[in-house]
Amino acid sequence: MFGRLISSRLTWIALVLLVVGATLPLYVTGYILGILTLSYYFGVFAMAWDLLFGFAGEVNFGPTFLIGLGAYTAGIINANWGWPMAACVLAGALMAILGGVLLALPALKLRGPYFGLMTLVAVLLLQNFIVIFAGVTGGEIGLTVPDVLFIDDSANYEFALGFMVLSGAILFGLSRSPIGLILQASGQDAVETAALGFNVAKHKLAAFCVSAFFSGTAGALMIFYLGTASVGTVVDIAVGVQVIIAAVLGGRRTILGAAVGAIFLILAGEALRPLGELSTFVVSAVALAVILFFPNGFIGSLLRVGEKS
Amino acid sequence: MLGLQILIDGFAISSLYALGATGFTLMFGVSGVLNLSHGSIMVAAAVAAWVFAGYLGGNPYLGALGGVGFGLIVAYATYFTVVRPIQRSKAIPKEETEIFVLTGTLLWGIMIQEAIAYFYTSNPKTVRPLVPGVVDLLGVRTPLNEIATAVICWAVIGLLWLLVNRTRSGKVLLAASINPRGVTLLGFELSNVYILVWTIYGILAGIAGVLLAMFLGVSSDGVGALTASAFSIVVLGGLGSVSGSLIAAYVVGYMETFTAYLISPAYRTIPVLLLLVLVVYIRPQGLLGRR
Amino acid sequence: MSAPLLEVSGLTKRFGGLVAVKNIGFDIRPGEILGLIGPNGSGKSTVMKLIMGIERPNAGMVKVEGVDVAGWPSHRIARHGVGIVFQHSRPLHRQTVLENIKLALLPDSLIRLFADPEVESKAIAIAERVGLGSVLHRRPATLPFADLRRMELAKAVARDPKIVLVDEPFAGLTSGEVNDFSDLIRGFRAEGRAVLLVDHNVKSVSALVDRVKAMYLGEHIAEGSAEEVMQNETVRRVYLGGAITTAARPEATFKGNEPLIKVDELGVLYGKAQALEKVSIHVHEGEFVSVVGLNGAGKTTLFNAISGLVPYSGAIRWEGAPLAGRSPAAIARDAGIVQCPETRELFGDMSVRENLDLGGQHLAKAERLERTEWLFELFPIIKARQPQAAKTLSGGEQQMLAIARALMMKPRLLILDEPTLGLAPVILEQLSKALEKLRQTTSITVLLGEQNVTFALPHADRVYVLEHARIVWEGEPGRFAKEAGAGLL
Repeated sequence: MFGRLISSRLTWIALVLLVVGATLPLYVTGYILGILTLSYYFGVFAMAWDLLFGFAGEVNFGPTFLIGLGAYTAGIINANWGWPMAACVLAGALMAILGGVLLALPALKLRGPYFGLMTLVAVLLLQNFIVIFAGVTGGEIGLTVPDVLFIDDSANYEFALGFMVLSGAILFGLSRSPIGLILQASGQDAVETAALGFNVAKHKLAAFCVSAFFSGTAGALMIFYLGTASVGTVVDIAVGVQVIIAAVLGGRRTILGAAVGAIFLILAGEALRPLGELSTFVVSAVALAVILFFPNGFIGSLLRVGEKS
Repeated sequence: MLGLQILIDGFAISSLYALGATGFTLMFGVSGVLNLSHGSIMVAAAVAAWVFAGYLGGNPYLGALGGVGFGLIVAYATYFTVVRPIQRSKAIPKEETEIFVLTGTLLWGIMIQEAIAYFYTSNPKTVRPLVPGVVDLLGVRTPLNEIATAVICWAVIGLLWLLVNRTRSGKVLLAASINPRGVTLLGFELSNVYILVWTIYGILAGIAGVLLAMFLGVSSDGVGALTASAFSIVVLGGLGSVSGSLIAAYVVGYMETFTAYLISPAYRTIPVLLLLVLVVYIRPQGLLGRR
Repeated sequence: MSAPLLEVSGLTKRFGGLVAVKNIGFDIRPGEILGLIGPNGSGKSTVMKLIMGIERPNAGMVKVEGVDVAGWPSHRIARHGVGIVFQHSRPLHRQTVLENIKLALLPDSLIRLFADPEVESKAIAIAERVGLGSVLHRRPATLPFADLRRMELAKAVARDPKIVLVDEPFAGLTSGEVNDFSDLIRGFRAEGRAVLLVDHNVKSVSALVDRVKAMYLGEHIAEGSAEEVMQNETVRRVYLGGAITTAARPEATFKGNEPLIKVDELGVLYGKAQALEKVSIHVHEGEFVSVVGLNGAGKTTLFNAISGLVPYSGAIRWEGAPLAGRSPAAIARDAGIVQCPETRELFGDMSVRENLDLGGQHLAKAERLERTEWLFELFPIIKARQPQAAKTLSGGEQQMLAIARALMMKPRLLILDEPTLGLAPVILEQLSKALEKLRQTTSITVLLGEQNVTFALPHADRVYVLEHARIVWEGEPGRFAKEAGAGLL
């Protein structure tokens, strides 16, 4: 496997991008660094979603349920009990995993659109929960967290980049490993996979937990970067939709494509900011066009072209 | 007194929900499409009615007509530019068509929502009611408009029932929801059936949107909540079952009204969401669901 | 004699009110091949699924080397030594052949990040054994049909199972490929495995099996050697509908007329499988033609091609003009080619009357009423059931309703696909009488597809025999018994 990895063109392109990315703070403004930092966390959201969809075959319409659980748990613990950041992030990740298990159980029994609905309902419930218990959660105004990761833009940027690269490497590695193969099989044809001797339910549950872990951790880290947590940034369905679009734009089942899609989406959103309210319109329109004409997304289409030759 | 108030208000809002949900579930039952741009079509129709009423010197009747017509146009646009291309696309594997339709209609809905906000802001809009005035109903001061809303909703539902059960095209529509292959074998083009169902859907969503604007007002911010409530009602009642949606609409409408009056309007949607979770866990096919 | 590797006894499975498998039992010893045969609906595939754990039995025992695995989840049964080859290939589309086979060799572990080095070499060895050595790095979409089937065999035996279950081993294969596969399966026997082959008919597996067990409607009807079962009276009755007799009919002279419908060199591919190959038939106006063949021979595919429901190669001409390019609804409505499919496709929630009315939607009201009355005369049973929902009717009544509904459309060509499937003999009588009356009182053209030869022959002017996607015989019913009847089973 390592041999193929080193000789693969993809690896070299990724390495080049990594070097470029790591050295950006030397010649780019803090404003742009800030946008990219945000997009890197989004990249992890999208990659975690792709693992679940692309590999386990489960469509999560509310990734922000897992993200929000991680973010708010970390934020609340930090704000109310003053635990150190690392412990809060860990707590957030564990809470998100719990949420992942809660979502997984019905997923193993429900057919068709019902599971997607459950994921949407989960987000709505979380949203309502946060608004009701505003005393603890900060409600619609948001929650301010006393600790932040770093003050310096460059430090935040490098941290986020490092986190995304590490998460990407793990998720990508998983997808290419025997476990990834079993997951793909489980998502594509559960009956045959079981007949080949695999406990499909166990593997899908594991996929949910991994997806939840990364979503929750990224969510928690992101609010420690931003300094606040709010429904609008980590729970809202609109955010979840962006995560899905990012993964689809980049290319389902590629993991790395999801990160590319997320970065593109955030950058595009910023670039279109002068358009004011129309920016969301344009981004959605572009996403819709991609779905209609390039359903395999950026990376997916590139890979397809490679396969044909 | 409060009980009567809840009864009347709950009835009106449930009737409105019923109208919207009926269109939504008919769409799913006949063509298998869960249209996540539902709320945006309703609001588009409502805002169009507001615009027309404004230009035409405040005539609510013509405004309403214009609104419904616009809703129909937006529905057709949804079908021909988003849904049909996805369903016919060769690049999308068959098992994923449903997911793509869901995502595609979701994006389309966001586009419509943002376009409305861009041109007309997200401020709430109301349209002058068709029937102004207040009446004393069993001791409760009720706007005539509220009663008119319930009456119109049920009249439309009644017309729909007549259409489906008494006309030739309606019966073909019903047959298509039971067995599309059978309809083809009997010489009916399914593509025509789909256009018919989108026409009916557009009109229903349009009327529901316009009535909502007259009753409570609409805003582009409310698009998501409208789609969510239609979705919830339809799942509770059973995907594809019109009678199920009608019953579920009243369950949801009254649960929301009770909560709004007795606890707080902010918590309106919570009992419904909890009920939804329960139903999906215990009986995912809903009350009367088939598919 | 060694102990049996697989012991099944008292196996029963109910789906709601339907008993799909009733008290089935058999043994397979190491190095033995058992053939389980039965027509559609016999329960043979369900038996296989019950053994593999894909369905849970309501009662009974399934012992693998003495351990009762009935009710276990399929992954546990697989790990206990049972491998299965499904009727339709189930490859992972985005993985190569090698990766597909490697999957079968992986342990069911959540934490193994790297596969054992021997997995790769083992996978290559298995691939080479089944004949896939040269296509290891190709994706399933690029492989021919037979190679996909080879891959299924490879997956099933990858972990050295003691029991191998194969559903329809030779469906869709050429005779050369059949020989290759037979050798592979004989290889399994030589290795001391117990093999269960499930198929529609005895003929295709007779060369390979040691013993045959026949099923019908969930129950055992015969067991013995292949010859014994083929000659068994009950088996023949169940498959062919009894002794082949032909009733005297008016001599029909169609020779010389241009056929109403002409099918030339028709070919249909289902995925990779050749469902029809170079099929040519024709039907004259007013003629009654029966296409006889077992389940899976291709009758339904032929009718679906005519009705425009599947893409095909070759030509289908209707009244001289090609049918290609017209939508299925247009073919039914404008051309007048109406199909009554095997699945009937009734509108279950609508009443009998509503179903009929929908069939007559293209007619003027007066004509529709007149025709409905005529159909009630032809099928008196459904008249009494007018207001009932179609799904509440019995099987026979539903079949009559389906035919009546098709007749409401005033078809120029009526296609009937296996109308007798699952019906009791009494109903068959009534159906036969109705068809007879139809033939005598109208000049309707009928194309009938049937496995039940006793039903198909009396009404027919001409008979085709369809076997494994090809037409193998054509002629008059009188000559059928002599020339083609014996070889059918």
